[in-house]
Amino acid sequence: MGIRLVASSRVKSPWLFHLNTGSCAGCDIEIVAALTPRYDVERLGCVLVGSPRHADVLLVTGPVTRQMLPRFIRVYEQVPEPKVVVAVGTCASSGTPFMGSQMIEGPVDKIVPVDVYVIGCPPRPEAIVKGIVTAVKRKFG
Amino acid sequence: MVDKHDEVKEIEVDYTRLRIPFGPVHPALKEPVLLRVTVKKEEILDVDVFLGHVHRGIEALAENRNLVQTLYLVERICGICSHSHTTCYVQALEEIGGIQPPERALYLRTLIFELERIHSHLFLLGVMAYEVGFDTLFMFTWYVRERVLDLFEKITGNRVHHSMNTLGGVRWDLDQRMVDDVRATMKDLQKSVHRIYDFFQDKTVEKRLCDVGILNKDDAKRLCVVGPTARGSGVSIDVRRDHPYAAYTYLKDYFSVAVREKGDVYARTEVRLLELFESINLIQKVLEELPNGSIRVEDNVIRLMRRIPEGEAISLVEAPRGELLYFVKTNGKEGLWRLKVRTPTIPNVLGLKPMLLGCEIADIPVVVASIDPCMACANRVAVIDVATDNEKIVDMDFLRRRRKA
Amino acid sequence: MNTLTALLLAFLLVFVISLLFDGIDRKLHARMQRRIGPPIIQPLYDFIKLFSKERIVPVAASSRIFTVSPTFAAAASIMGTSILLANLMLGGSTGGDLIVVLYLLAMSSVLVMVGGSSSGNPYGAVGFSRKMSMLIAYEVPLLLSILSVSLKVNSLSYYDVISVQITAKSMLALTFPSMAVAATAFLICIPAAADAVPFDVSEAKTEIVYGPLVEYGGPFLALFKLAKSASNLALTLLAATLFFYLPAVFGVYALPGLSDLLICLVFALMFWFLTITVPRTIFARLRVGQAFKFYWLVVLPLSGIAVVLSVLGL
Repeated sequence: MGIRLVASSRVKSPWLFHLNTGSCAGCDIEIVAALTPRYDVERLGCVLVGSPRHADVLLVTGPVTRQMLPRFIRVYEQVPEPKVVVAVGTCASSGTPFMGSQMIEGPVDKIVPVDVYVIGCPPRPEAIVKGIVTAVKRKFG
Repeated sequence: MVDKHDEVKEIEVDYTRLRIPFGPVHPALKEPVLLRVTVKKEEILDVDVFLGHVHRGIEALAENRNLVQTLYLVERICGICSHSHTTCYVQALEEIGGIQPPERALYLRTLIFELERIHSHLFLLGVMAYEVGFDTLFMFTWYVRERVLDLFEKITGNRVHHSMNTLGGVRWDLDQRMVDDVRATMKDLQKSVHRIYDFFQDKTVEKRLCDVGILNKDDAKRLCVVGPTARGSGVSIDVRRDHPYAAYTYLKDYFSVAVREKGDVYARTEVRLLELFESINLIQKVLEELPNGSIRVEDNVIRLMRRIPEGEAISLVEAPRGELLYFVKTNGKEGLWRLKVRTPTIPNVLGLKPMLLGCEIADIPVVVASIDPCMACANRVAVIDVATDNEKIVDMDFLRRRRKA
Repeated sequence: MNTLTALLLAFLLVFVISLLFDGIDRKLHARMQRRIGPPIIQPLYDFIKLFSKERIVPVAASSRIFTVSPTFAAAASIMGTSILLANLMLGGSTGGDLIVVLYLLAMSSVLVMVGGSSSGNPYGAVGFSRKMSMLIAYEVPLLLSILSVSLKVNSLSYYDVISVQITAKSMLALTFPSMAVAATAFLICIPAAADAVPFDVSEAKTEIVYGPLVEYGGPFLALFKLAKSASNLALTLLAATLFFYLPAVFGVYALPGLSDLLICLVFALMFWFLTITVPRTIFARLRVGQAFKFYWLVVLPLSGIAVVLSVLGL
């Protein structure tokens, strides 16, 4: 029963950290819009935290640019286990429309393992919330 | 640029000065930018701005794509001002090709342009409230903004990245029901923006925003800042009035340019609030005067693209953040020789240094938000390497984690 | 019920009630912003989840202080609050007077500061200096208002203040003007002691990334948050019982026992709402210099007047 309690607490309180690895800010504003009264992701227990050490879910947007690559890896290491990585947007999932550019180190799954891809340019806030909930339930539930 | 293989230099370390990296990952910043701030206790002594974290090589990519593909690439330079980018690009192409879009198309372009200005300013006002810790105002402003995004979705099909523009016109038309929706939303917006204006005059907010981050008129002119950043410092420039484009040629008498003299954060915020009112009026005027007719010159955009000869053009628009400039050089074979984009954030970011000197650490997010930075727009220059040199007092490596216990 | 059982029961109660009150605060805050908000037992889920994360100690931190300060901060806060609760449950003094309670609460704040500065992060250092400024700003008026209460009642014991109100069948703040002034000063000090906007400069999320808490994750963070909730409960309970002991007015229920405790807790929740939730929702954050000036120029004279009036016998 103790394990079930811990698992259900992890599912009911996912703390999000949003990391922009070079996106056009479209996905970022939809992530922030998920906090606002119309979508209100806090009713699911999600809080947008400012320090990666407090987070469970890493929301990554953007194709990873060359300058952000070392910082991305460092932030990934700072998030304590158990953690979940959600790639938000088409750029983070597959790199298009910037494919072929020498400044892009590739989509997110070339660098860290990704649990859920939320595609869209940008995905709607409801899609992002569904992505977070699916990832958290699958990994922690 | 510092060579990583330099020998360790003997440097006199002043322990009262602390150098703090602000960004590129920071809760106050939605986009990565690195500000290296030197502080003594809480007062800021020096600021170094490092861009380049969002550099995706768009100008290089544009040279391998044809003109219409570049339109979709250019849209994704920035998510907040995407319509400004496409309008500017399409205007340059139309000038090279001698294509004149129909009047209805120009009015529709202006309608979406002003709606985008409203959504961008509401976005920024919410972010500004969030930076000073006023969560409730942030929630309220973004709640109001959702109605504008609803309008975008009704007219163009997407909340962000509308793809409204195309060569020779626009892609979507307004029917009567949408016109009524827009009118009703504008009426509600007027009341909500009045309330937001009142909120920004709250005592605690005023204490944080007034007399902070001052940029005086001479510095503003010398650094060539643009947009509300300049208008908040008394420099009256606005591309819509000085070099009118799209339907602004016909609407010149129906809006005024808001200018404030003081140059602090509150002045810039007030300029944006007044611009919100102006945009609402402009949209109502556009709906009144919307002419009938077709919305694009030709349905087959590939045929139009083939007609564009070799040539070059410069195009200017007034994006929500200021003056946006495009230089386009086509090669006559459906492609581009060169695309150069100069976004408003590039000169505005230079204004950060005189603004931040003498302020406290607590003011950094507020001042940075007040120039409305769009880092995704501003990363058009070559990569600046941030080398880990030995003379740092606090090193980023100190923040690395190690598993223990 | 003897003293030891009362203290142990209080220890458990503090844990449950402070998390519950924290959840109610978050729910009301969300409702005021036109949102739905998290369920009321959300802080309990947060607590369990944080304990199940891995423990990370940064390379640059002084690891012994880093790992030890959260535990001690939580212990100090919980002990201080349970002394108050045990007093109310027993209807008699359990030993441990106002000085001990205030010392434990202050120690918990200091440990947050110390932990932050030991983390090796420059933001922790900035948070340390800001928290120190705030401590100097609000501790003095807080102590002076408590001092004026003890001068009035001629005792430092917590239960003596309550029994004075019971025998007089009236609330202290409503009978003596000096107590009314002291109550106002005390209530204004609570947002600073609770790190609530407009005075949450030491943990400003958008400026210095949570200040002292920036490098803390997992179980350490859970303990710090518990320390904060428990000390909020202690402060609001002190405000509710020292100045406005409601059961004293209802003659029938002026018996020591759990019904009195319930009324005091409800009153404490009301004060929590008025002094922590409402300012958090309607104000912006002040800078550290502005907050400091406010406390020294406005609240400190107020508490000073309370002491003077209390000495004069008013």
